[in-house]
Amino acid sequence: MAILEIKHVSKFFGGLAANSDVSFEITEGMIMGLIGPNGAGKTTLFNCITGYYPPSKGEIIFNGRTMNHLQPDAVCKLGMARTWQKVRPLAKMTVVDNVMVGALCRTNSIKKAREMAMEQVKVVRLEHRADFLAGGLPIGERKKLEVARVMATQPRLLLLDEVMGGLNPAESEEIIQLILDIKKLGITQMVIEHDMKAIMRISDRVVVLCSGEKLAEGSPQEVVSNPEVITAYLGSE
Amino acid sequence: MKAFNPLHSQRGASAVQVSIGIAVIAALFAFPQFVESPYVLHMMILFFLSTLMGQSWNIIGGYAGQYSVGHAAYFGTGAYTTLILLTTREIAPWYGMWVGIAASIVLALIIGSICFRLRGPYFVLASIAVAEIVRGTALNLTDLTKGAEGILVTDIPVFNIGETIITDFSSKVPYYYIALVLALIIIGVTWLVQHSKLGYYFQAIREDQDAAHSLGINLTIWKNSALVISAAFTSLAGSFYAIFVKFIDPSTVLPLDLSVQIVLISIIGGIGTIFGPVIGALVLVPLSEALRSNVIAQGLINSGLVSEDSGVGIFLKENLAHAHVLIYGILVVVVILFMPEGVLGYFRKMAAKKKGGNA
Amino acid sequence: MTFSVLLQSIISGVLIGGVYALIGIGLTIIFGVMRVINFAHGDIMMVGMYLTYFLFTLAGIDPFISVLITMPLMFLFGAILQRIFINRILGSLPQNQILLTIGLGLIMSNTTMLAFTSDYKILTTTYSSSSFNLGGISISEPLLISFLITAAITAALYWFLIKTDTGQAIRATAQDREAAQLMGINVKWMSILSFGIGSAMAGTAGALIAPTYYIFPQVGSAFTLKAFVITVLGGMGSIVGATLGGIIIGLVESVAAVTISSDWKDVVVFSIFLLVLLIKPSGLMGKSRM
Repeated sequence: MAILEIKHVSKFFGGLAANSDVSFEITEGMIMGLIGPNGAGKTTLFNCITGYYPPSKGEIIFNGRTMNHLQPDAVCKLGMARTWQKVRPLAKMTVVDNVMVGALCRTNSIKKAREMAMEQVKVVRLEHRADFLAGGLPIGERKKLEVARVMATQPRLLLLDEVMGGLNPAESEEIIQLILDIKKLGITQMVIEHDMKAIMRISDRVVVLCSGEKLAEGSPQEVVSNPEVITAYLGSE
Repeated sequence: MKAFNPLHSQRGASAVQVSIGIAVIAALFAFPQFVESPYVLHMMILFFLSTLMGQSWNIIGGYAGQYSVGHAAYFGTGAYTTLILLTTREIAPWYGMWVGIAASIVLALIIGSICFRLRGPYFVLASIAVAEIVRGTALNLTDLTKGAEGILVTDIPVFNIGETIITDFSSKVPYYYIALVLALIIIGVTWLVQHSKLGYYFQAIREDQDAAHSLGINLTIWKNSALVISAAFTSLAGSFYAIFVKFIDPSTVLPLDLSVQIVLISIIGGIGTIFGPVIGALVLVPLSEALRSNVIAQGLINSGLVSEDSGVGIFLKENLAHAHVLIYGILVVVVILFMPEGVLGYFRKMAAKKKGGNA
Repeated sequence: MTFSVLLQSIISGVLIGGVYALIGIGLTIIFGVMRVINFAHGDIMMVGMYLTYFLFTLAGIDPFISVLITMPLMFLFGAILQRIFINRILGSLPQNQILLTIGLGLIMSNTTMLAFTSDYKILTTTYSSSSFNLGGISISEPLLISFLITAAITAALYWFLIKTDTGQAIRATAQDREAAQLMGINVKWMSILSFGIGSAMAGTAGALIAPTYYIFPQVGSAFTLKAFVITVLGGMGSIVGATLGGIIIGLVESVAAVTISSDWKDVVVFSIFLLVLLIKPSGLMGKSRM
């Protein structure tokens, strides 16, 4: 069953087409990789999907429901959550409090929220940082915090925007394990990544964007051996 | 960096802290039984009032991060509503204040709907503009507000429950208790906010509005909630001020100076903390008074630093009393430049450093 | 209300609008280059007014001529303020920046009050109340002269910003501070220059209206708010916008005073401000293009 349908989505900023007639579907439980050179429109697509701004054309359908003009908070409550390419920790709040903000999306009780938050904090292995201010964490831990926080909102579809960006191999490996564990929970994921090896390992299918358009779609192997994709990446170096 | 988080009070205050708190509150309640000086009581009342004003602002400014520099609008609305109802319809202030609160809440919702879509500095500007509009309106609707002349009240009605007279407001004592209770209430409300979903959501909005939005927080609802709470209590402060001082006019209850002062109380102590505004009030009230009553000038002269007959001495004696707004200005500059986290934040940073901070 | 009264108010509105434009231009340059919202702007203007007053009463220098002295002095004043105070908070939260400038403004106005008392001072020149008569419309002479001087200054400023290297460096800094720095522009110096220029504009505006306005310590705050309305209306960072905005606000004020009432004109101006913030917060000319 398609949990997310992107139908002919375009997004224009003035004269610039950041996304141009993009269409694909994501079935429940899978991990969809979203790749493409810098400026291809990947984050723009995420922003449209999660209501940060509406698409200029086309439809975004989540669980059979059109999401085009919903605000980000409504999108989150309906079960779609995202992380940010440039991490956004709530700097002056502790790690636990950060995750609690996510949990409070699903409960009004502080006690329950704290329990839910600690669970997620443990999953991403940040318990030793629970009472530290988020603003003081190094980048690797900030990324994990962001994942924990967004998981606390109990999403059905998780959008990860370059969650491995700027991490060393050990940290990236941790994130990959997290993503695979999340998949085991039945949560669908769409992952923007530049790390091709990671994409190959985790994705069930891959969509390639280039200059705002969908260039290719298929299994990781298919996409990686697609000559147009290769040109797009090499050509844009 | 270990979290000496000034924004997060110790989970479950220790028994010692609670006992001290109770002792302090008890002492404050007993105070007027032992101290009769109207001057001292007056100072305490000003302290409680400043605490009330600062704490109220703290909810929208400190916790939710929306720096309104136009809070005088709510203070003035409370003050004017209460006195207009008292002088024209003989409605007692303990009823009038509720109307004032209602009016301020309506005003807050209007302001919120206009201003909250604006970010950072634009919000500040808009809040100032709105307060000026309210002040201009009060100046010009002379039939209702008596304009620049102001409203003077000579008699506060007697407050009784059934047949028993509780107070006739003839001394400072009833004002003391009312102000104390109001201050305790707002501190309690702040505590409740901080330990509830409200507090978490407000702070998330302050820290990163877009991230908060994406985590399921409806910005409009929550920002307006913070503003409504803040406006209601600020209005209460205005109503109290009106029956305490018994005279109001647009230049005392609605000016930009007052809005700045309200912000200052929180900033000095430490915004976004439960006790920051209390500390701010603790600093500002004695300072204002020391200036007004020439204590500082006299002190400088007595200590021999300045001769009484010198030009400087005479100048100080005559003018320092009027300089309290100047001192506010200097304080703002000093605090922003050197202690932007306020007194509380400053000391916590020092303590964190001493404990060997880095993780 | 007759047509000639309306025409009268339109003309004087445009004339005073010129001075407003000067204040707005100063503010918009400061914001454009440093992204600082200078809440002390009106108080800086007030300093200019007092300076002009004393140059006139103590040294007999005509206010319009004293602009030659006031402008550079106010430039220096602004540059010093920037170097000592504003520079330190360039990276702070905008809210803190506003509070700092509010504090500085309070210090300026209250020091003036302590030094010179709150008494209203009046600067009367021989031509303070003269006016021309043009087809039945009376045009105030000092206002006309101010307008002409303002136009000259604005033109000179525009030339400076577009034709000179320093001016272009300032504009580059306004457009993209980091890029400008990478190109070798000394952005710190640009900030000092801009605050200096902005203050010079404000101070000069003060000098120009000194013959026609009451001079007192608190006069600045009303102008600060008005300056913000003007720059938001015109578009923060745009000189053309500030010029347009100044004239529009001058017009609105003047016409409102005769059509609604002079008491409510401030409320009208602030209401327009809110409307602009709501409908088109980037103003007439859009954001940040000097």
